[in-house]
Amino acid sequence: MKPDLEELEKQKKQNAEERLKFIEMYVEWLKKTPNKVWSKQQKEFFGG
Amino acid sequence: MSTAETFINESGFIRPMEYEFRQNRISFAKELNYLDRFVIDFCEHLSDLKIRFVLVSGYISILFGRSRETEDVDLLVDELSFEEFKGLWDLLSEDFECLNTADCKGAFEEYLRAGHAIRFSRKGRFIPNMELKFKKTSTDGFVMENSIELVLNGLHRLRISPIELQIAYKLYLGSDKDLEDAKFLYELFFDDISHEKLEGFLSWFDEGTRIRFKRIARE
Repeated sequence: MKPDLEELEKQKKQNAEERLKFIEMYVEWLKKTPNKVWSKQQKEFFGG
Repeated sequence: MSTAETFINESGFIRPMEYEFRQNRISFAKELNYLDRFVIDFCEHLSDLKIRFVLVSGYISILFGRSRETEDVDLLVDELSFEEFKGLWDLLSEDFECLNTADCKGAFEEYLRAGHAIRFSRKGRFIPNMELKFKKTSTDGFVMENSIELVLNGLHRLRISPIELQIAYKLYLGSDKDLEDAKFLYELFFDDISHEKLEGFLSWFDEGTRIRFKRIARE
Protein backbone atom coordinates (compact mmCIF):
# COMPACT_ATOMS: atom_id res chain seq x y z
CA MET A 1 0.00 0.00 0.00
CA LYS A 2 1.21 3.48 -0.80
CA PRO A 3 0.40 6.17 1.76
CA ASP A 4 -1.82 9.02 0.64
CA LEU A 5 0.63 11.90 1.08
CA GLU A 6 -2.03 14.52 0.56
CA GLU A 7 -4.05 12.98 3.37
CA LEU A 8 -0.99 12.79 5.63
CA GLU A 9 -0.05 16.39 4.91
CA LYS A 10 -3.55 17.48 5.87
CA GLN A 11 -3.30 15.46 9.06
CA LYS A 12 0.11 16.99 9.84
CA LYS A 13 -1.25 20.51 9.45
CA GLN A 14 -4.29 19.70 11.57
CA ASN A 15 -2.04 18.23 14.25
CA ALA A 16 0.12 21.37 14.31
CA GLU A 17 -2.96 23.57 14.71
CA GLU A 18 -4.26 21.35 17.49
CA ARG A 19 -0.88 21.63 19.25
CA LEU A 20 -1.14 25.44 19.15
CA LYS A 21 -4.67 25.20 20.55
CA PHE A 22 -3.32 22.98 23.31
CA ILE A 23 -0.66 25.60 24.18
CA GLU A 24 -3.46 28.16 24.47
CA MET A 25 -5.35 25.90 26.88
CA TYR A 26 -2.20 25.11 28.80
CA VAL A 27 -1.35 28.80 29.30
CA GLU A 28 -4.92 29.44 30.41
CA TRP A 29 -4.46 26.74 33.05
CA LEU A 30 -1.03 28.08 34.07
CA LYS A 31 -2.42 31.56 34.56
CA LYS A 32 -4.98 30.40 37.08
CA THR A 33 -2.72 27.98 38.88
CA PRO A 34 -0.40 28.95 41.75
CA ASN A 35 3.29 28.93 40.91
CA LYS A 36 3.97 26.27 43.48
CA VAL A 37 1.42 23.92 41.93
CA TRP A 38 2.39 24.22 38.26
CA SER A 39 6.11 24.27 38.97
CA LYS A 40 5.79 21.14 41.14
CA GLN A 41 4.03 19.41 38.26
CA GLN A 42 6.69 20.64 35.83
CA LYS A 43 9.39 19.30 38.13
CA GLU A 44 7.65 15.91 38.29
CA PHE A 45 7.29 15.92 34.50
CA PHE A 46 11.05 16.49 34.24
CA GLY A 47 11.67 13.71 36.73
CA GLY A 48 13.18 15.96 39.35
CA MET B 1 -4.64 17.55 51.77
CA SER B 2 -3.53 17.77 48.15
CA THR B 3 -0.96 20.26 46.97
CA ALA B 4 -3.62 22.20 45.12
CA GLU B 5 -5.82 22.44 48.20
CA THR B 6 -2.89 23.85 50.13
CA PHE B 7 -3.04 26.90 47.94
CA ILE B 8 -6.72 27.66 48.19
CA ASN B 9 -6.86 31.08 49.81
CA GLU B 10 -9.28 32.31 52.46
CA SER B 11 -11.96 33.24 49.96
CA GLY B 12 -11.88 29.75 48.54
CA PHE B 13 -10.16 30.56 45.26
CA ILE B 14 -6.91 29.10 44.07
CA ARG B 15 -4.36 31.87 43.65
CA PRO B 16 -3.32 32.38 40.02
CA MET B 17 0.16 32.22 38.57
CA GLU B 18 2.04 35.11 40.11
CA TYR B 19 4.81 37.14 38.56
CA GLU B 20 5.85 40.74 38.40
CA PHE B 21 6.52 42.05 34.92
CA ARG B 22 8.29 45.36 34.59
CA GLN B 23 9.95 46.86 31.58
CA ASN B 24 13.38 45.50 32.41
CA ARG B 25 12.66 42.89 35.02
CA ILE B 26 10.48 39.87 35.63
CA SER B 27 10.30 38.41 39.13
CA PHE B 28 8.60 35.22 40.10
CA ALA B 29 8.89 32.15 42.27
CA LYS B 30 8.75 28.51 41.34
CA GLU B 31 9.77 25.10 42.55
CA LEU B 32 13.08 24.57 40.78
CA ASN B 33 13.53 21.53 38.56
CA TYR B 34 16.87 19.96 37.64
CA LEU B 35 17.14 22.12 34.51
CA ASP B 36 16.57 25.35 36.46
CA ARG B 37 19.22 24.27 38.98
CA PHE B 38 21.65 23.44 36.20
CA VAL B 39 21.16 26.88 34.63
CA ILE B 40 21.36 28.73 37.96
CA ASP B 41 24.52 26.89 39.06
CA PHE B 42 26.22 27.56 35.74
CA CYS B 43 25.23 31.22 35.54
CA GLU B 44 26.27 31.90 39.12
CA HIS B 45 29.84 31.12 38.06
CA LEU B 46 29.54 33.76 35.34
CA SER B 47 28.12 36.28 37.79
CA ASP B 48 30.91 35.54 40.27
CA LEU B 49 33.38 36.62 37.59
CA LYS B 50 31.18 39.55 36.52
CA ILE B 51 30.86 38.15 33.00
CA ARG B 52 27.82 39.52 31.18
CA PHE B 53 25.52 36.83 29.82
CA VAL B 54 22.04 36.41 28.35
CA LEU B 55 19.96 33.25 28.21
CA VAL B 56 18.22 32.94 24.86
CA SER B 57 15.91 30.57 23.03
CA GLY B 58 13.99 27.53 24.30
CA TYR B 59 14.90 27.56 27.97
CA ILE B 60 13.03 30.85 28.44
CA SER B 61 9.71 29.15 27.67
CA ILE B 62 10.57 26.25 29.96
CA LEU B 63 11.55 28.62 32.74
CA PHE B 64 8.04 30.07 32.66
CA GLY B 65 6.33 26.71 32.71
CA ARG B 66 6.32 25.23 29.21
CA SER B 67 6.03 21.46 29.54
CA ARG B 68 8.77 20.29 27.26
CA GLU B 69 12.27 18.99 27.72
CA THR B 70 15.44 20.27 26.12
CA GLU B 71 18.96 18.94 25.78
CA ASP B 72 20.66 22.29 25.64
CA VAL B 73 20.36 25.82 26.94
CA ASP B 74 21.65 28.65 24.77
CA LEU B 75 23.78 31.32 26.36
CA LEU B 76 25.44 34.41 24.90
CA VAL B 77 28.38 36.00 26.67
CA ASP B 78 30.48 39.06 25.96
CA GLU B 79 33.66 38.30 24.05
CA LEU B 80 36.36 37.48 26.61
CA SER B 81 40.15 37.63 26.48
CA PHE B 82 41.92 34.29 26.85
CA GLU B 83 42.90 35.16 30.42
CA GLU B 84 39.29 35.93 31.30
CA PHE B 85 38.10 32.75 29.63
CA LYS B 86 40.78 30.69 31.44
CA GLY B 87 39.48 32.10 34.74
CA LEU B 88 35.96 30.99 33.82
CA TRP B 89 37.15 27.59 32.60
CA ASP B 90 38.99 26.94 35.87
CA LEU B 91 36.00 27.96 37.96
CA LEU B 92 33.55 25.92 35.88
CA SER B 93 35.85 22.88 36.01
CA GLU B 94 34.91 22.31 39.64
CA ASP B 95 31.40 21.20 38.64
CA PHE B 96 31.19 21.15 34.85
CA GLU B 97 33.11 19.78 31.90
CA CYS B 98 33.39 20.92 28.32
CA LEU B 99 31.99 18.32 25.90
CA ASN B 100 33.86 19.62 22.86
CA THR B 101 37.39 19.51 24.18
CA ALA B 102 39.32 19.14 27.40
CA ASP B 103 41.75 21.80 26.27
CA CYS B 104 41.03 25.33 27.42
CA LYS B 105 43.15 26.97 24.71
CA GLY B 106 41.50 24.84 22.01
CA ALA B 107 38.03 25.70 23.30
CA PHE B 108 38.91 29.37 23.12
CA GLU B 109 40.77 29.47 19.79
CA GLU B 110 39.12 26.76 17.71
CA TYR B 111 35.59 27.23 18.94
CA LEU B 112 34.70 30.51 20.60
CA ARG B 113 37.00 32.83 18.67
CA ALA B 114 36.04 31.07 15.44
CA GLY B 115 32.38 31.85 16.14
CA HIS B 116 31.36 28.38 17.32
CA ALA B 117 29.65 27.41 20.53
CA ILE B 118 31.06 25.14 23.20
CA ARG B 119 28.97 22.92 25.40
CA PHE B 120 29.31 22.31 29.11
CA SER B 121 27.53 19.63 31.10
CA ARG B 122 27.74 18.61 34.72
CA LYS B 123 30.73 16.34 35.23
CA GLY B 124 30.04 12.79 34.06
CA ARG B 125 26.77 13.69 32.34
CA PHE B 126 26.06 14.56 28.76
CA ILE B 127 22.67 16.24 29.05
CA PRO B 128 21.51 18.83 29.74
CA ASN B 129 24.30 21.04 28.48
CA MET B 130 24.95 24.74 28.28
CA GLU B 131 25.71 25.92 24.76
CA LEU B 132 27.88 28.97 25.27
CA LYS B 133 29.01 31.34 22.56
CA PHE B 134 30.48 34.80 22.31
CA LYS B 135 28.20 37.55 21.06
CA LYS B 136 29.12 38.06 17.42
CA THR B 137 26.30 39.39 15.29
CA SER B 138 24.54 42.74 15.59
CA THR B 139 21.47 40.84 16.81
CA ASP B 140 23.57 39.22 19.55
CA GLY B 141 24.77 42.70 20.53
CA PHE B 142 21.21 44.02 20.63
CA VAL B 143 20.07 41.11 22.80
CA MET B 144 22.96 41.70 25.18
CA GLU B 145 22.28 45.43 25.49
CA ASN B 146 18.52 45.01 25.85
CA SER B 147 18.36 41.92 28.01
CA ILE B 148 16.00 41.88 30.96
CA GLU B 149 16.66 40.74 34.49
CA LEU B 150 14.92 37.65 35.76
CA VAL B 151 14.71 37.35 39.53
CA LEU B 152 13.88 33.82 40.55
CA ASN B 153 12.64 33.03 44.06
CA GLY B 154 14.00 36.38 45.18
CA LEU B 155 17.50 34.91 45.15
CA HIS B 156 18.75 34.06 41.69
CA ARG B 157 19.41 36.73 39.11
CA LEU B 158 19.59 35.73 35.47
CA ARG B 159 19.53 37.79 32.28
CA ILE B 160 17.17 36.78 29.51
CA SER B 161 16.36 37.98 26.02
CA PRO B 162 13.46 40.48 25.79
CA ILE B 163 10.21 38.50 25.53
CA GLU B 164 9.04 40.37 22.42
CA LEU B 165 12.28 39.56 20.58
CA GLN B 166 12.15 36.00 21.80
CA ILE B 167 8.70 35.56 20.27
CA ALA B 168 9.75 37.09 16.94
CA TYR B 169 12.98 35.06 16.78
CA LYS B 170 11.18 31.80 17.52
CA LEU B 171 8.75 32.57 14.71
CA TYR B 172 11.68 33.24 12.41
CA LEU B 173 13.21 29.84 13.27
CA GLY B 174 9.86 28.37 12.36
CA SER B 175 9.88 24.69 13.42
CA ASP B 176 6.76 23.32 15.12
CA LYS B 177 8.58 23.42 18.46
CA ASP B 178 9.65 27.04 17.90
CA LEU B 179 6.13 28.07 16.93
CA GLU B 180 4.79 26.47 20.07
CA ASP B 181 7.39 28.27 22.20
CA ALA B 182 6.42 31.57 20.54
CA LYS B 183 2.73 30.88 21.09
CA PHE B 184 3.40 30.02 24.73
CA LEU B 185 5.23 33.29 25.48
CA TYR B 186 2.77 35.34 23.44
CA GLU B 187 -0.24 33.97 25.34
CA LEU B 188 1.40 34.01 28.76
CA PHE B 189 2.61 37.59 28.53
CA PHE B 190 -0.08 38.96 26.22
CA ASP B 191 -1.15 41.64 28.71
CA ASP B 192 2.41 42.58 29.66
CA ILE B 193 4.44 42.79 26.48
CA SER B 194 4.67 45.79 24.17
CA HIS B 195 2.81 44.78 21.01
CA GLU B 196 4.39 47.73 19.26
CA LYS B 197 7.85 46.39 20.10
CA LEU B 198 6.81 42.93 18.94
CA GLU B 199 5.67 44.41 15.61
CA GLY B 200 9.06 46.09 15.28
CA PHE B 201 10.96 42.87 15.93
CA LEU B 202 8.79 40.95 13.46
CA SER B 203 9.88 43.39 10.78
CA TRP B 204 13.53 42.44 11.41
CA PHE B 205 12.91 39.02 9.95
CA ASP B 206 11.56 37.54 6.73
CA GLU B 207 8.02 37.37 5.35
CA GLY B 208 7.67 33.82 6.64
CA THR B 209 8.06 35.15 10.18
CA ARG B 210 5.05 37.41 9.71
CA ILE B 211 3.00 34.62 8.12
CA ARG B 212 3.78 32.38 11.08
CA PHE B 213 2.86 35.20 13.46
CA LYS B 214 -0.62 35.24 11.93
CA ARG B 215 -0.93 31.57 12.86
CA ILE B 216 -0.26 32.18 16.54
CA ALA B 217 -1.70 35.67 17.03
CA ARG B 218 -5.06 36.38 18.64
CA GLU B 219 -7.66 37.65 16.21
